[in-house]
Amino acid sequence: MTERRFAHSIKVNDAKCIGCVACMKVCPTKAIRVRQKKAHISYDRCIDCGGCLRVCPHDAIIPLTTQLADLDRFKFKIALPSPVLYTQFGQEVMPNEVLAILKEIGFDHVYDEALVCEMINVATEEYLDENKSLRPMISSMCPVVVRLIQRLFPSLCRNILPIEPPREIAAKNLRAEVSEQHNLNPEKVGIIHITPCSAKMVSINHPESMARSHLDGAISIREVYNKVMMKLKRETGMLMMQTQNRISGIGIGWAIEGGEIRGLKYTNSVSVSGLLDTIRILEDVESGRLKNIEYLECLICPDGCIGGPLTVENRFVAKSNVLRLMRHFGGKKRVNGVLVKRLYRENFFSFKWAVEPKAFPPLDKDRNVAIQKLKSKEGLIKRLPGTDCGVCGAPDCKTLAEDVVRGYAKLDDCIYMCKGDLQSNGEKK
Amino acid sequence: MNKSDARSEVLFQQKFPIRGGDFVNAGDSSCKIRNTLREIGIDSDIIRRIAITAYEAEMNVVMYAERGVMSINVYRDEILLTIDDKGPGIENIDLAMQPGYSTATEEMREMGFGAGMGLPNMKKNADTFKITTEVGKGTRLEIKILLDGKND
Repeated sequence: MTERRFAHSIKVNDAKCIGCVACMKVCPTKAIRVRQKKAHISYDRCIDCGGCLRVCPHDAIIPLTTQLADLDRFKFKIALPSPVLYTQFGQEVMPNEVLAILKEIGFDHVYDEALVCEMINVATEEYLDENKSLRPMISSMCPVVVRLIQRLFPSLCRNILPIEPPREIAAKNLRAEVSEQHNLNPEKVGIIHITPCSAKMVSINHPESMARSHLDGAISIREVYNKVMMKLKRETGMLMMQTQNRISGIGIGWAIEGGEIRGLKYTNSVSVSGLLDTIRILEDVESGRLKNIEYLECLICPDGCIGGPLTVENRFVAKSNVLRLMRHFGGKKRVNGVLVKRLYRENFFSFKWAVEPKAFPPLDKDRNVAIQKLKSKEGLIKRLPGTDCGVCGAPDCKTLAEDVVRGYAKLDDCIYMCKGDLQSNGEKK
Repeated sequence: MNKSDARSEVLFQQKFPIRGGDFVNAGDSSCKIRNTLREIGIDSDIIRRIAITAYEAEMNVVMYAERGVMSINVYRDEILLTIDDKGPGIENIDLAMQPGYSTATEEMREMGFGAGMGLPNMKKNADTFKITTEVGKGTRLEIKILLDGKND
């Protein structure tokens, strides 16, 4: 199969970028270089984690999500919000109010994803029951984790649970249901995820496990926040529930780390959130160290999706809101297990194909040349100062050394190398 | 250079000292080995096998020995991983190779180690597996994993 490039959900706004090194320093895949006082993202390496978006002090990193105005091309518009949306508007606001307001700001229909989360729990259990040879299996919920595995832990691609996340399954179900109900051409139905991160956009534009996503776009929580907030203020007390959604306490829990495994009967599961901890635990998995664990939930954002870069409410308050909603709706399972198991047998939840490894290229295609380059890289690392100052435009000295042997940079880019004499004079003992 | 020379020439070598009892840094060496092999374009499935083997071997030194050295040697057609340790040695190799057999202390087991799968797991992932040991002196493991040869 030919390598499809990752579509990307993050762009640098050159007009605002001043070429500081904030984004370059946090990038986990070393995808950013600063050249001529502008940050450049290498889309071959970017996994859309949104780290740069979080730290940019100049608002120069732009998330490329769907805009409300883009929805006009659809005849029938459905909002499929992440449960994170419910946590953004304070303690008093209930999910059904938020859903009702979405219908007033331009959506024809809304759907709560939380019940589908319960379905995915059942499907996951079925899969784990039937497939016991490989452990741990890793959740496919977070699109950044999937890409991180493809890039940095290619051998773990087979550990990715081959079951689509709730947003995709909900959309798949909705398109069929709604187009039949309203006698519409399914192509004219627009199903839009309301998302806490831009990464969902990549999984929609370039899914890794099927030819075409069931979703038509993803609008950020930030984009709808003001509109929802204004309506909420104006219509407090007037909002009666018109939507037919059953809200699931277990499903709402998916907005925070641990939510997915909470609904599983496999108690020997582990949840992790945040970039560094996710990388750390995947390293342990790759060493074969965590074979006794059944299932691993990894979410790239701190504390889970409520920590997404495109949310508004701070994540600690949002987390408290999730916990309160979970208490309110209770932990009782509402899903019809028999139906879900039947759908599972029909492969309703399954990946169309396995996620393929996309490891970063070696230093050279020819192994002997790559070994030579590795040796010269190690030599360079010894010569470089090791201060990781970033002035050369690479995030750290090791990466500069790698760029030099790959032919992307010169050793002279390092000011210490350039002014070697100066430095040794300054360091006289 | 004749054919056998080319095959037996070490193209690349890295050595990592391992300290017995150092559970904090345990696993670092196998992690570094993994990154190195990735940079020189070794197939990801082979890397996984080496990573598992290296990790198990590293943990054995950490758990039982005083100190050790792990070395990775890349040849044209194979990778040789060796682990030499100064430690108690293994009294009965046949027994140690049995899945589930372990001399780990209660403490180690509480930490989640000592399931008795270390050596069997290494053997499973290796193409050849050689173990030499002397009680009271130490143990040497030699693990060979064959490369695909596609790069030749």
